[in-house]
Amino acid sequence: MGINANGRPATRVVKIRVRRYDPETGRRWWQEYRVEAKKGTTVLDALLKIKAEQDHTLAMRYSCRMGACGSCGMLINKMPRLACETQLLELGTDTVTIEPLPNFPVLRDLITDFGDFFKKHRDIMPYIVRESKKENEEPYREYYMPPDELNKIIRYSYCIMCGLCYAACPVVAIDKKFLGPQALGQAYRWVTDVRDEGLRLRLEKVDDKHGVWRCHFAGSCSAACPKGVDPAQGIQLLRSKLVALTAGARRDKKPTHVATPTTVRYVDVGDAPKPTVEDKSLLVKHLEETAQELEQDLPYVAQALRDYLRTITSS
Amino acid sequence: MGEKRKPRFLENRLGIMGNIVPWVLMIRDNPERVAFVLHRLTGLLLIIYLPVHIFVTSMTVNPQKWEDFLRLEENPLAQFFLWILFGSIVFHGLNGIRLLLVEGLGKGIGKPEPPEPPYKPTSLSSAQRKWLYAVFAIWLIVWIVGGIILFREFGWV
Repeated sequence: MGINANGRPATRVVKIRVRRYDPETGRRWWQEYRVEAKKGTTVLDALLKIKAEQDHTLAMRYSCRMGACGSCGMLINKMPRLACETQLLELGTDTVTIEPLPNFPVLRDLITDFGDFFKKHRDIMPYIVRESKKENEEPYREYYMPPDELNKIIRYSYCIMCGLCYAACPVVAIDKKFLGPQALGQAYRWVTDVRDEGLRLRLEKVDDKHGVWRCHFAGSCSAACPKGVDPAQGIQLLRSKLVALTAGARRDKKPTHVATPTTVRYVDVGDAPKPTVEDKSLLVKHLEETAQELEQDLPYVAQALRDYLRTITSS
Repeated sequence: MGEKRKPRFLENRLGIMGNIVPWVLMIRDNPERVAFVLHRLTGLLLIIYLPVHIFVTSMTVNPQKWEDFLRLEENPLAQFFLWILFGSIVFHGLNGIRLLLVEGLGKGIGKPEPPEPPYKPTSLSSAQRKWLYAVFAIWLIVWIVGGIILFREFGWV
């Protein structure tokens, strides 16, 4: 065992207790492993090491290993965390307990079923809803919005749907139908979006006894969130918006500074950047060669290339 | 071909115990959750007490019955229950004011600004956290002082 510059041992053996579950027999048990941890070893690293060297039957879900995908949410030392962002030595305990996320059905060992969770997210329509049918069904250009309007919703856009808030919520623990902090936080995000006109449609889902009124501000969702999304704040703001609407404070909607595919552009977002290749002849030559190569196998692509070639040479 | 397996999935909902038993789920830096659990428990107690209270006040119609009831209340156990009830009313009322401001009007939870690392949630570090500490402080002081006044006649304090 090596020694660090500060005189402490570079590695330490950590006992890991995993709550396991076998769906075929219905057996649930605690299993202990010992893993050598050094500075920077994450819980996910340790689990993968166990799977590779000690017990290949241990099942867990992960993908990106860098806190961007939200697959490896687990209950680590009784706190919902991302296994890839939690370091073993930073936990500061000799024994680390790892359980599957609560409030989700367990499929096997540390793998939980997110079907219900995703369904609730779909229920609040997490996309831009426009009143115009044409804009909804045949969008052909992006919408523009000013940066200060984006700043109001960007916090909620950072959600990676890891389910930690859902596992931490004390209301989800007792009410199966409760939409949960993730879906309600996202509902606020879409309702506040200036490009969106689906307020009424979303309120039908949210204004319900299993919806926004079921939250009692325990704040656990925000305390557990690894991305600083703060669903608790979103739910309270959504609720105060509902209270204001119900109390008759029907302020006329301010003209939104947003440009849609069918309306005039209010916001000057500038023109597209100039092409970096000034000399067109190189590009033209390359395109012609490529089109000739593709003529045999992919005639449509070759045709498309020629069309494009025509537009850039004519302008 | 082996025997067809029928996997059974485990419903892992924490239920009411996950709210009340503190070691089932330990969320860091979250006194709001403590307030949530206390608010529910005190609310439950008050809702049970309300019909009893109406029944008790109806006793004043019959002076003899009322005197009997007052004698019952001299029982130390009844006094202790009254003290718990008093604490519940104070906490539920004070925290209720905070919750009305936070949940009804959206005050004290900060603005939805872009998050900066290390990603501290705004709603848990804004004014409502201070109000919460004030609620806890005022509640404990009022409850303890009330207890001293209540238990003085028994010579307990």
